[in-house]
Amino acid sequence: MALPLAVQATVDDALSFAYEAATPYVKQGFTFREDAWGGDLGVGDQKAVTAQLFKGNEYWFCLGTDVDGAVVTVHVYDSKGKLAESQNWQKGRFAGTLVSPKQTGTYYAIVEVKKSSEERTHWALVYGYR
Amino acid sequence: MRISFFAVPAAAAMLAGATVAARAETAPQQIDLSQFPAAAVQDVVVPVPSEIFNVLDKLGSPNWKGELRDSLGKNTGNRAQVALLLGTVIAEGFVAVEAEDSERVKEIGRDVLELSRAIGVEKAVVTRSKAIVDKADARDWNGTRRELDGALQDVRGAMNELNDEDLAQLVSLGGWVRGTDVLTSIVQKDYKPQRAELLHQPELLNYFDRRLDGMGPRLRKSELITQLKSMLKEIRPLILEGEGRQISPESVERIHTVTNKMVVTITSSDA
Repeated sequence: MALPLAVQATVDDALSFAYEAATPYVKQGFTFREDAWGGDLGVGDQKAVTAQLFKGNEYWFCLGTDVDGAVVTVHVYDSKGKLAESQNWQKGRFAGTLVSPKQTGTYYAIVEVKKSSEERTHWALVYGYR
Repeated sequence: MRISFFAVPAAAAMLAGATVAARAETAPQQIDLSQFPAAAVQDVVVPVPSEIFNVLDKLGSPNWKGELRDSLGKNTGNRAQVALLLGTVIAEGFVAVEAEDSERVKEIGRDVLELSRAIGVEKAVVTRSKAIVDKADARDWNGTRRELDGALQDVRGAMNELNDEDLAQLVSLGGWVRGTDVLTSIVQKDYKPQRAELLHQPELLNYFDRRLDGMGPRLRKSELITQLKSMLKEIRPLILEGEGRQISPESVERIHTVTNKMVVTITSSDA
C-alpha cells in the first residue's frame, strides 16, 4: 500500500520502537525478520495480523509506537481463536509476546491501542524466530 | 500495511532493557476471530526459508549440500520470470547457508545483483549483495541469513516504489516455491509426521492465490501465472490434510513433484 511520505515516516518511527522492544531477544539468539506489519489505529481499535508459524520454532512478536505516553498491547491466538502465547509483557509504548506453536499453521497477532493522546496512533509489529 | 526494516534509522534501534519493569498483560483465553472484518485483518508475512529450515535442523541433519541445484537458472528477459527467478535464487541462498557453502552463497549474492539489474532495482540491492558476499566470506551464517532476508525486502520495496507490486509478489512466490521444493525433498527422503506438518500453510496459499487473482489482466493470463495458479490449486487440498490429520508421504511426494516442476519451469530458458 502506498502511503503519503509523512505517514510512512511516522510508521517508520514506530518501527524503530518495535525494533527497540526486540533488542533483548536478538541477544538471546532470535533472528528478527526485515518484513513487518504496521499502520495506525484509534484508541480501543484492534487489528489482527496474520502469521504462518512453524511448530519447533519459538517466536517473539514485538510491538512499538512512536506516540509518547501511548499504551499498546499484542496477543497471539491460533486459528481457532485460542490464546497461544506462553509469555506476554506490556510497558507503555512497547509490548511483546512469546509463542511456541503447538501446531504448524496460521496464527493471529491482535494489536490494540489501549491509550493514546493522538487520534490515530501509528504502530509497527516485528517478529523473530529461534 | 507491510513495512520493511530497511527504512529504519539504525541508531534509533537498540536501547537495552525494554522489558525492565514491564508487566504481564492479561488477555481473553478465547476470542471470536470472525468478529474481525476483512479490513481489520492484515495479510500474512511470507516466511523466509530459514524459518522452516531451522525446524528441519532440530528434527535431524538434512544433507543440505545435496539439495543445492547445479544451475541457478537463466534470465529470459521476461520480467515476470526474472522476478520469480530472483525469488528462487534468494531461496537457494538460504539452502547454501544451511550447507555452509560460502562459494555458492557468494555466487548467489552476485546473481541477485545481476537479476535485480535486469528488472531495474539494482540500486536497492548493491549494498546487500556486497554484504552477502562479505558475510559468506567470513562464514558469518546468521549474518548471511539476515542479508538474504534484507535483499528480499529491498528488492520488493524497490519494486513497490516503482508500482510493480505484482512483480514484488512474484519474488516472494518464487522464494516460496523453491523453499517448498527443498522442504518436500528433505521430508520425502526421511518421512516423519513432524517434518511433514511444516507444509501445513493454508492461509499462505490463500494469500498467494488472492495475489495472483489480483494481478493485471495481461500478467494474469500469461503462461507462467497460469501454471502457478494450477500448482497452488493442486497443492491446496494436500496441505489442508494438516487440519487435524497427518500430511501423508504420498502427499509430500506429490507436492514435491509439482513444486519441483515449477522451479524447473521458472529457471529454464523456455519460461
